Amino acid sequence: MPVTELSAPTGAPEIAPAPISVAIDSVDVKYRVFEERYFSMRDLVSGGFKMRRSTDIHAVQNLSLDITTGEAVGIVGSNGSGKSSLLRAIAGLQSIQSGSIKVRGQAQLLGVNAALKPLLSGYRNIMLGGLAMGLDREEIEAEMDNIVEFSGLGNAMNRPMNTYSSGMAARLAFSIATIRVPDILLIDEALAVGDKDFREKSLQRISDIRAQAGTVIMVTHSLGEIRASCTRAVWLEKGVLRADGAVDDVLNSYEE
Amino acid sequence: MPGTAQLGQSELRDAHESARLIPYLREVWARRGYIWYVSLNELRTRQITNVLGNLWHLLNPLLTIGVYYIIFGLLLKVTRGTENFLLFLTVGLFVFQFTQKATIDGARSIVSNTSLLKGVKFPRAILPITATVTEFVASLTTYLMMFVILLIGGESPRWTWLLFPLVIILQTVFNLGTSMVAARMTTHFRDTTQILPFVFRLLLYGSGVIYSVDAYVEDNPGAELLFTLNPMYCLITMARWTIFGSNVDAPIDPAVIVSGIVWSVGSAVLGFLWFRAAEERYARD
Repeated sequence: MPVTELSAPTGAPEIAPAPISVAIDSVDVKYRVFEERYFSMRDLVSGGFKMRRSTDIHAVQNLSLDITTGEAVGIVGSNGSGKSSLLRAIAGLQSIQSGSIKVRGQAQLLGVNAALKPLLSGYRNIMLGGLAMGLDREEIEAEMDNIVEFSGLGNAMNRPMNTYSSGMAARLAFSIATIRVPDILLIDEALAVGDKDFREKSLQRISDIRAQAGTVIMVTHSLGEIRASCTRAVWLEKGVLRADGAVDDVLNSYEE
Repeated sequence: MPGTAQLGQSELRDAHESARLIPYLREVWARRGYIWYVSLNELRTRQITNVLGNLWHLLNPLLTIGVYYIIFGLLLKVTRGTENFLLFLTVGLFVFQFTQKATIDGARSIVSNTSLLKGVKFPRAILPITATVTEFVASLTTYLMMFVILLIGGESPRWTWLLFPLVIILQTVFNLGTSMVAARMTTHFRDTTQILPFVFRLLLYGSGVIYSVDAYVEDNPGAELLFTLNPMYCLITMARWTIFGSNVDAPIDPAVIVSGIVWSVGSAVLGFLWFRAAEERYARD
């Protein structure tokens, strides 16, 4: 499929004025899904080797992309277009089958909610999430008040997290995940939750991160969010790069 | 965390390069705060929904001992060769269960944390290590309970009791290995978690936990060799020796100590290397 080069041409080998922070070079991400996911005793007994029935998913196909420091890139595409796989591959969480992904500094997925425990209080979860991200106790304790204030959860911080609404939990997770400003922040639909106020606050936080010479790459279905906070948009369809360039240009052709 | 932010602006690095052995170990060490925090809070939440709450950390070992004592001590009377069966059983069972629980928790540690593995980058060995450390901390109340039972049961403290923690540390090293092996095995074959309880049931009967093997190995070097090659037997025998010491007529067989140490170090080193060799596949699902 031809790549429509809308404005900024990518993959140019010349050295760009701003340093490249993510260099994606002809990357393929494939994984295999089993219909009967795990080989188990039952398959042996029932005689059907269901584990053999598997499908290869070619999530990202021969994709090349250079992202420079300070950019905020929004990735759009329909469900199953490989957006999340690409994001996780940049974070080093998804293995790639060919090509290479190079990053400058630390790429961190805003995925800390997975480390949180529902039975623990908000405070303990801040500690837990921070430690999981590799911060040490003193750093987290020093930031504790800021995190609590930013999350706006107030007294709820003493309650176990399983008493939180999904919006509150998402606010807490976002607040924890952005304690440390990573060199490259990867966001996967994380802003689609939370109320209007918090959404504005988190958009502000993202532009702050960008201002600190960081790079932001976000995957979202909310085109408004991309318009509000991104400097560049990338359109993926079935794992193939369809368009790459200025936000308005890409989103306009995506919406058609 | 040292390093990450600073080396930031320097150069482009491959997002998928796998850390070599020493940097990997350093990463694990850097997360020791996480391991401790998760372990302590895991224990805190484990009994949170029960009426008696954390009292179960004490009640559970007591009830376990009660059940085994009624069945094997009072009903089946397998007490030959033991001076005080209740105390003999207590030491054996508590030591045995530490390894059992750490290994079974370790087996679940990767497969029950897939969302964490997909979301956060960290050395995967953290998970089985955390499982072992959690059980280590949990075992401390159990061992405290054991010493209470010993004192109530009429044992008087002796200097060899000071060696008991060394045996437990050795056992923890052993458990780190079994936990990591079980963790990787479960990712290949989910049914590992179903099979492990039976493996441990077999080991329970084959390690002299609820009966003294002395009578069986007398004049039977083959059987004695088999027991000496069984790491659980070695760890339990060492633990019992530190507790009952000279009460048992025969001094401890040096072969048991050597075998216990070789097993523990071997388990930890080989278990770690084997676990790490599949580091890439744990996030895949």
